[in-house]
Amino acid sequence: MRWRIRHATAYRYAEPVDIATHMLHLSPRALPQQQVLWDSVACAPEPARVATGIDHFGNRVTWLFLDRAHARFEVVAEAEVEVAFPPPPPLDTSPAWEEVARAALRDPGAAEFTLPSPLLPEHGGARDYALQSFWPGRPLLAGVLDLNARIRRDFTFRAGVTSIATTVGQLLAQRAGVCQDFSHLMICGLRGLGLPARYVSGYIRTRPPPGAVARLGADQSHAWVGAWLGPGQGWVDLDPTNNLVVQDEHVVIGWGRDFNDISPLRGIILGGGQHALDVSVDLSPA
Amino acid sequence: MNDAPPDEMVDGRGHVRPHWRGILAAFSDLPPSLTAEAAPRGSAVAEAARRLDRAFEDEGVGALLPGAGRTARAWRCDPVPLVLPAGEFAALAAGLAQRARLLEAMLRDFYGEQRLLAEGLVPPSLVFANPNFLRPCRSAAHPPRHPLLHTYAADLIRGPDGQWRVLADRTSRAAGIGHAQENRRMLGRVLPNLFRGQQVQPLRPFFDFWQDSLQRLAPPKAQNGSDNAAVALLTPGVHHPLWFEHVLLASELSCALVEPGDLTVRGGALFLKTLKGLQPVDVLLRRVDGRSLDPLEFGGPGAGHGPGVPGLLDAMRNGAVRIVNAPGCGLVEAPALAPLLPALAQRLLGQKLALPAIESHWLARPEALAMLRRAPGDWTLRPAFDGAVAAQELGALSDAALAGLLARIAERPQDYVASRHIAPSVAPSAVGDGLAPRPVILRLFLVQEGGQWRAMPGGLARSPEPGEGLGGRLPRQGLAKDVWVLSEDGAQITGPAALPLPPLPIRRAAGALPSRVADNLFWLGRYVERLEGAARLMRAVLARIDRGPLLPRELAELAALAAALRHAGLAEAEDVPNAAAHSALQAALWRALREGGSVAWLMAEIGRLVEGVRDRLTGDMHTLFSLPLRAIQVQAAAPQRGLAGLEELLGGILRYSAGVAGAAAENMVRAGGYAFLDLGRRVERGQTIAAQLGFALAQPASRIEGGLRLALELCDSVITYRSRYLGVLQPAPALDLVLADPGNPRGLGYQLAALRRRLTDLEGGTEEGLLPAVEALIARVEAIPPALLAVADQAQAAARMAPDIAALEAEMAAISDAIARRFFALLPPAQTLGGETAAAEPAVLFWGAA
Repeated sequence: MRWRIRHATAYRYAEPVDIATHMLHLSPRALPQQQVLWDSVACAPEPARVATGIDHFGNRVTWLFLDRAHARFEVVAEAEVEVAFPPPPPLDTSPAWEEVARAALRDPGAAEFTLPSPLLPEHGGARDYALQSFWPGRPLLAGVLDLNARIRRDFTFRAGVTSIATTVGQLLAQRAGVCQDFSHLMICGLRGLGLPARYVSGYIRTRPPPGAVARLGADQSHAWVGAWLGPGQGWVDLDPTNNLVVQDEHVVIGWGRDFNDISPLRGIILGGGQHALDVSVDLSPA
Repeated sequence: MNDAPPDEMVDGRGHVRPHWRGILAAFSDLPPSLTAEAAPRGSAVAEAARRLDRAFEDEGVGALLPGAGRTARAWRCDPVPLVLPAGEFAALAAGLAQRARLLEAMLRDFYGEQRLLAEGLVPPSLVFANPNFLRPCRSAAHPPRHPLLHTYAADLIRGPDGQWRVLADRTSRAAGIGHAQENRRMLGRVLPNLFRGQQVQPLRPFFDFWQDSLQRLAPPKAQNGSDNAAVALLTPGVHHPLWFEHVLLASELSCALVEPGDLTVRGGALFLKTLKGLQPVDVLLRRVDGRSLDPLEFGGPGAGHGPGVPGLLDAMRNGAVRIVNAPGCGLVEAPALAPLLPALAQRLLGQKLALPAIESHWLARPEALAMLRRAPGDWTLRPAFDGAVAAQELGALSDAALAGLLARIAERPQDYVASRHIAPSVAPSAVGDGLAPRPVILRLFLVQEGGQWRAMPGGLARSPEPGEGLGGRLPRQGLAKDVWVLSEDGAQITGPAALPLPPLPIRRAAGALPSRVADNLFWLGRYVERLEGAARLMRAVLARIDRGPLLPRELAELAALAAALRHAGLAEAEDVPNAAAHSALQAALWRALREGGSVAWLMAEIGRLVEGVRDRLTGDMHTLFSLPLRAIQVQAAAPQRGLAGLEELLGGILRYSAGVAGAAAENMVRAGGYAFLDLGRRVERGQTIAAQLGFALAQPASRIEGGLRLALELCDSVITYRSRYLGVLQPAPALDLVLADPGNPRGLGYQLAALRRRLTDLEGGTEEGLLPAVEALIARVEAIPPALLAVADQAQAAARMAPDIAALEAEMAAISDAIARRFFALLPPAQTLGGETAAAEPAVLFWGAA
């Protein structure tokens, strides 16, 4: 499936900003399952310096440096990608989850994602919630699919009731949140069982095909979960907000341990006073 | 095996080792008393210790900060050094150089390809769970371009088998190197006789080598390739416990001492904000935690690592600035990595590890945990990742405490490392009147240039306090020892030929004075002057109380003084119910001087500012600026009362401020920081004069003579007036002397003239705004005496003028604000964007002041 992405972010400041530095995760990374045909990042006003690089996780990063006073900052990221995530392997080939947890400790690509991270410290509640999907000896894939479905069932999608400061504990208590919260809960629960899980940032199709259900979390950046299947088996991406296995309706920007590692746009500004933010995302078939 | 700790000085048969004979002889040659005071026989060692203590106290080493620091015990230096023979030191230096190469190779792998993880030589969680693994410093695509380690330090102890062993690696900042240099300097200054006839290797060549190697780190410049590299030492600031060391190192290495707020990144390069605009910085010697370098990359919501410099990491990646040690080097300080070093030396260097380390085990391995359980008393415990935490001696715990700890370890064994408990060797220390053996830990320092590591022929030795855990960060206080490395053949090791530096152009302006330093000097000038003004005013009050019944004239003066006291914040209205309430006045003055009072606050601020500009003062000036102040603070806090005590304190304050003014005027270059010190002083004194004259002259016309007398007294101009006009007191000549005469240093006219001169120097007379405001004020005060002469009733006119004169205070304050705006570049507060959740309302997180 081929997608066209447009992600526009605009900040309006009450007072001029003298100096600003921004770090962007807005360019989709190339993957075996995702071909990036072209992409661009445009910014207004014209930045004094633009730098690009690859971070620790292999994600693409763009830095923008503005050093003239401005009252408005706008960045538009566009790309065209071709995605084809293969269906997950058959359930009967998936090893028992305890075996995966043991192997993860030794695997340099997976071990990092079994550990707590800045936004996701260990949480007994999340662990216990996840454990209900993992009875002894259950194949890992069966467990994560079950957990993915339970989160969709047990929690309500509601924008505005959570923020970046919302903890997994608060989410478990209020049972409502957005894609980021559900992903954090699922990751935290899996890590509590010693299973590698990563936070994936990207987009989901904005408008459903005729007659299909509209997807949740489509009007902004979307987030979901990568779960490690075991040595040599790679990762599978699961979207607990929509109870989906990622196949061809999602576009990946990149991943990290939690939101902090892959936040779409972070900045330090001098001045500015109050500010207003306007974000629009569109993911349409190309 | 004999478990008694070995003695550095005495061998197994009770003989003094040859390399200790020189220093022992030097101590026995010292005269028993070096001062006129009669001292008990045999106390040459004690006397040496006392003199050394006093010298350190005078320099204020270790006890620098306002408040707690002043009373806390400082670092002390033992007059008896730790002596190492050349051969032994060379072996240690070679072993540590190998270890540094190994740690560098490990860091390059961890921040690069991570092959050691893929090969199974290093368990992945030893890197990924380590809080000192700084992800923004690694790219999955590009391995590090430059060496990451530039300086390295290690703590060593000598165990019962006589072998030195590494206790802890210091790869982040190698703290203590300045301390070591200071100990040597002081020992040489206070006890030069000790060095006579000894072949002690000097430290200076090492610092020359270091300075050159920093110069060579500078990235090649696109333009003006002949320029010298600009090196800056980045310190967290005056509040940091090692601030003094940072000041010392900056001076030793001839580099600028900067705080994060002094720096800014523009166009992918690093700059220092100075009075003359942005000056490039090529090499940054980092004395702050790597995580507080760049809030953009390490910030994230709620990280709170400190202000930092947004974009600094980009400038580093861009190759415009080299940061040493590279951020993230602290990763290999992890005690849990130490047990892997022998195997990694084989893998990475193809060599056997030359210098052994204390036997350590990561308790994530079940067999290690079992070994610990079998004999806990043989082991000490350390956190797996935090090399800055001292080891806990398990043998010293009660049974209950040990059981509790073992239970905690069993829950999370991967968080702990066990190291074998070894009693360090002992070396002679000055104790009481003689020498006594004390345990000793040795910290050695190395610097790298082109892959070649070189050890400082000296170091920082310490005697741990009884019960102190070993291997942690340097404590805030303790007993340090100089480390002497003897040279075998008398030939001194010298550094390589100094890097040929291009000739410097002649500069006479305040080139790279950081704006923050100018700001601090300005306020130092203001506060010292404010302190002096307060003391003068209080003394004028003191002279009028407790002298029996006052004349009506004196009562009126006292009322004016009391009003001035209240205005200056030195007394509250309720403190001074009426001017005749002498005991209430006296109590108010004491309150101002004591803890919580406004004068005490001023003195604490002055102490803080003096430390903040310490790198701009010579050692002698710093002593002059800080030592008498500390004495006054102690005296003011003492539980004494009475007029005599007050009298003495105020006299001390006036002598202090005169000393500061004199030392600054005689020693500081005019175009540099002095201009700001003086600007501050002039602005403050101008404000004080205007305010006090306003109160003095606020009298009915019939009593104006008393007001004028008080005005002259407050401006210390009584004698000058009398010599000019004899006994006749009239408004026009009196106000000319205190307001308009530019030749009277206690008058307002002089302050304005000085302001004009300094501002002209600083701005070359071109800047708009500041100078015209000063000129306008000068014109205003110069018009006052002629205006008085022109009227028939001078007394009436002078009394009516009081509010106008008082209003000059606000004019001076406006000039002060303008100076701050013009020179100190007040930046708006920084804030962080991007706490917004996906598909949710944005959340803004404020980052604190820039």
